[in-house]
Amino acid sequence: MRMHHLELKPSILNLDFQEVEIKIKRFIKDYVEKSKVKGIVLGLSGGIDSSTAAALSALAIGGDKVLGLILPEKETYNAKDVKHAKLVAKKFGCKTKTIDITSTLETFYKSIPEFDPTDKVCKGNIKARTRMIYIYYFANRLNMLVCGSSDKSETMMGYFTKWGDVAADISPIMDLYKTQVQKLAQHIGIPKEILTKPPSPALWPGQLAETELGIKYETLDLILYGLEHFMETKEIAKQLDIEKELVESIKRRWLSMEHKRRMLLTPKLEYRTVGADFRLPRNFH
Amino acid sequence: MKDKIKLALGQISCKRGDKKENIKKMEEVTNKAKKQGADLIIFPELSLTGYVVRDQIYELAETIPGPSVKAIEGIARKVNAYIIFGMPELSEKTKATLYNAAVLVGPEGFIGKYRKMYLPTHSVFEEKRYFRAGYHATAFETKIGKIGLIVCYDIFFPEVSRLTRLKGAQLIVCISASPAVRRAFFEALTVARAIENTAFLAYVNLVGIEDGLQFWGGSRLVGPNGKVLAQAKYDEEDIVMCDVDYADIKPVETFVPTLRDLRPELFDELKKHAENL
Repeated sequence: MRMHHLELKPSILNLDFQEVEIKIKRFIKDYVEKSKVKGIVLGLSGGIDSSTAAALSALAIGGDKVLGLILPEKETYNAKDVKHAKLVAKKFGCKTKTIDITSTLETFYKSIPEFDPTDKVCKGNIKARTRMIYIYYFANRLNMLVCGSSDKSETMMGYFTKWGDVAADISPIMDLYKTQVQKLAQHIGIPKEILTKPPSPALWPGQLAETELGIKYETLDLILYGLEHFMETKEIAKQLDIEKELVESIKRRWLSMEHKRRMLLTPKLEYRTVGADFRLPRNFH
Repeated sequence: MKDKIKLALGQISCKRGDKKENIKKMEEVTNKAKKQGADLIIFPELSLTGYVVRDQIYELAETIPGPSVKAIEGIARKVNAYIIFGMPELSEKTKATLYNAAVLVGPEGFIGKYRKMYLPTHSVFEEKRYFRAGYHATAFETKIGKIGLIVCYDIFFPEVSRLTRLKGAQLIVCISASPAVRRAFFEALTVARAIENTAFLAYVNLVGIEDGLQFWGGSRLVGPNGKVLAQAKYDEEDIVMCDVDYADIKPVETFVPTLRDLRPELFDELKKHAENL
């Protein structure tokens, strides 16, 4: 945490990753114990975020209590991703289950009147939400918690599927920017081939996060870091030597996506209102 | 009055919303500490209820004295020791006006309370939403010395500790619920408050995780010369026994006479400028 005049250079995102690892593991272990559940379920895509979340879960509560669901589907199937998911699970001792969700998706598409297969965003969101249903089924069935894998960069950008990949009971790496997750992943020993792979939500073939966001994570994270620290867009642009318009568009996107981060908006009608001034602790332990 | 006393820094985690359970834990710790000779056992801020209880605080708050204070008085009487702990106080004159209070009880029963003056309402903190700020710094005369009470964020404002010292406190007790990212501040300020007041300062922080906030512990006793005399573990429950010898104040006060050198006329100036910030 820095509170002096900010210089937006990559090193500003450095953290003591040993300390971060300890804090996250403690957070996971504490929450699992107090919730009195049997373990953690999470989706394993073979990407860096879910690999890191799975590894941290396993390090926190033991791999035998962590179930990674590998949920491939035909359109975006990539043997490498499945291999990577299994590799991480094996390294950290997590259990896995692989379920091909293609037939579910196809049935789903078919059942929707006027389904538009060319609208890849709507279709992609069905994939993310279908995975969520599988993950929650096992959590429910096995009395486990769902662990999310969202990072701070994508959460701030709203780069996720509402009620889909972001749906979880705990999100242990959500306060870390993507480039910080990469460093944490390296620190805890996530295999190199996963670290160097370009990030992708894999909602349609060839989708790449940085192409879609229109910016490299190294730059995006510094912009977001500046915004987090109340820096003015002008100053961010100047320091990073980029167009002010780019910084402003990132800022607009960050602000306009709050509806995806805060759930259940309702008009204020009564005394205490869900999501507004019903302010309760998340639990009582 | 005793010249030398034994303190126990009761660094505990709390079960949120469960006063009975937390009193039970305080009793266990008190018994354990007493066996090691403790005259005073100190527990963290809002240790009766846990820190992040949000709207539930209206159900949990009690008057001081009240049933929970009475229960803890009972423990103090039984073991013949003093206990300091934190709780949400319901003002006697109202139905829902609350204070974030520190309470001192002893073998003689209820001794006094302090209402937190500086309520953090920024970042993850929302204390002003729930609490009214207190108005009075206090120092209580007891058989184990004159004790001043402050709560957590008060330590950022030297005037609160200073007032307890000017009212005679030789031991300033700061009970706290500080999450991990603020550790460096407290480690500096606990030392500073001790030195500038030539007083002992006992800091007792919460541990455990409440709604994602990880309280870092690290409770400590600082001597009047700023030396850290005892230090509890980071992040986990710990009971640390330590000794206060009030005779240590005199040589420090002679060597660094901060109280002798106080300039009261500056306080008027301070007031004037603080009003026009």
